[in-house]
Amino acid sequence: MRAGEYFLSAFDTFRAQPIRTVLTLVSIAIGIVAIVAAGGAATALEQALTTEITASGAYSLVIQKQPSIITSGEQWRRYMRRRPISYGQASEYKRRIEGSGALVSLFSAAPSQTVRAGTEHTDPDVTLVGSDEAFFPMRNYQLAAGRPLVGEDIFYARMVAVIGNDVRQDLFPADTDPVGKEIQVQNQRFTIVGVLARKGGIFGQSQDNMVIIPIPVFVRAYAEEWNYSVSIFVRARNQAHLEHVFDESIGILRSIRNVRPGEENDFEIEELASIANQLGTFLRFVGLFGAFCGGIALVAAGVGIMNIMLISVRERTREIGVRKAVGATVRSILVQFLVEAIVLCQIGALGGIVLGMLFALLLSHLAGIELTIPIGWVVASIGLCTLVGVGFGAYPALKAARLNPIEALRYE
Amino acid sequence: MSTPPLIVLEGITKHYRMGSEIVEALRGVDLTIRRGEYVAIMGPSGSGKSTLMNIIGCLDTPTSGRYMLEGTDVSSLGDAALAAIRNRKIGFVFQTFNLLPRATALKNVELPLIYAGAPPQERRQRAIAALESVGLGDRLRHKPPELSGGQRQRVAIARALVTGPSIILADEPTGNLDSKTGMEIMALFHRIWQEGNTIVLVTHEEDIARHAHRIIRIRDGRVESDMPNPTPIVGAPLLV
Repeated sequence: MRAGEYFLSAFDTFRAQPIRTVLTLVSIAIGIVAIVAAGGAATALEQALTTEITASGAYSLVIQKQPSIITSGEQWRRYMRRRPISYGQASEYKRRIEGSGALVSLFSAAPSQTVRAGTEHTDPDVTLVGSDEAFFPMRNYQLAAGRPLVGEDIFYARMVAVIGNDVRQDLFPADTDPVGKEIQVQNQRFTIVGVLARKGGIFGQSQDNMVIIPIPVFVRAYAEEWNYSVSIFVRARNQAHLEHVFDESIGILRSIRNVRPGEENDFEIEELASIANQLGTFLRFVGLFGAFCGGIALVAAGVGIMNIMLISVRERTREIGVRKAVGATVRSILVQFLVEAIVLCQIGALGGIVLGMLFALLLSHLAGIELTIPIGWVVASIGLCTLVGVGFGAYPALKAARLNPIEALRYE
Repeated sequence: MSTPPLIVLEGITKHYRMGSEIVEALRGVDLTIRRGEYVAIMGPSGSGKSTLMNIIGCLDTPTSGRYMLEGTDVSSLGDAALAAIRNRKIGFVFQTFNLLPRATALKNVELPLIYAGAPPQERRQRAIAALESVGLGDRLRHKPPELSGGQRQRVAIARALVTGPSIILADEPTGNLDSKTGMEIMALFHRIWQEGNTIVLVTHEEDIARHAHRIIRIRDGRVESDMPNPTPIVGAPLLV
């Protein structure tokens, strides 16, 4: 028997049992949807994260009151008891560490602000960022118009702002140049000196919906009324320099924050690369967990396939007898039923992949990141489905192939 | 005698295990059938005639004895070799037709050619020719449920003929048909025999057996009698 005949025969069987076929396909597809959606979303998130961090994070440290990743409420309460890093402490640190040649940017932010310009205003979801001139090169922000913040803006605490693309769109018509115009946040007025180029979102947060002002202004005007803490970004020249800066920073900060010998640090100093690694590991775990759930669904679907095929073998006993009488070998019957199981599983896999990609698309859209097709997961899904087809199709196919033709022909 | 007889059975026995009992279905059958013969194998149920037919048809292998088919010993061949012999040398016609109910007449007749590995174009042509030869040239696209009993049996005969087999092995071919249709089918067998085919008819009906030119009676797993039939009935002409 020619190879193509097995496929034709499989499709004839599917056509003869459309409802049964569709139900089986759906059960396979569900398992695959879970695998592909989980894998796709995890892959997309991980990729966005890596791109983001490699763009700005090589040889970089971040110093904060608390670590970037907190895994329990108990940890959270402990870190929240720490004293905030004040602007004064951060400035002192910056002054001292800059002697070693590291690039330092101070950063603090107030979420959920409303920005006004004339009669226009944004939704109350703009992040107000207080930072400095190093913010732009270190975070990889490009300017679409005007200029970034410069050293004098910080030194003289000028009432100037660089606005993100979302804010610009909310407040100004497309054909006007916002540079030189005024905006108002709470009761402070700022002159716009620059507009950021669009950057897109990450983890559901737009990176364009923000206003950046000099950090001394931020601290004076907004931060002192709440328990703000300054984050410090430090970029070293190379790996050796990074290690030097890391050790130096601990010493400087302990001295500035009066940590007594023998006491634990009351701040966290982390390499951006290791944060990315931790997040990446976490995301891979999430992806694998999703895949594991999908795998369980697939096994259930496999058992379903086996069940249906056993019924089908019984129903087609006579057909098997006839086929044997006219020249089918044990092997050709075995292959025929296996091909049916495998083709069914693979069609289900394709359907599941398409649906799963749609899900992943939806998830990554909600998360505000670009979807990348998780080729690895797709290939793995098809492979896995083939395995399920072979694994669960083998017993019924063997049963069919081993039928005694004489009894099969007599079967009522 | 340069060509050997079509079928030579020597001391064929067949034992089955039924639970703890061993059933001796055949107890030493010797039989020779030549090319172009029209033979009926008769016997009451339980006589062993079905077992004999299954062995002749290579659906089963004997417990002991030798079966030479066209000079080849097929008594101890494996599955693939037996399947190939069934495919090329034997055409089965069953009492219950045994057509694939969801396949068209054409597809049913093509089935043996699929296993023979014939290319699709050739397969189609040969299947159409076989169906036309049994008078069903206008029923190619019909499925078995859309055909009458006689038509179904003719599809089955076309399927048996399509590979050009050495023997047509018909097991109670009229058993599920009314007598008029049965006569038509017997007339068709007569014509097929006239065209040079060897026919082995298995039946328990005297009327049907008398169409054959030689009647072999089986009882208790042995050949009871093996006699020529000097006055075979020629079936009613085929009403197409």
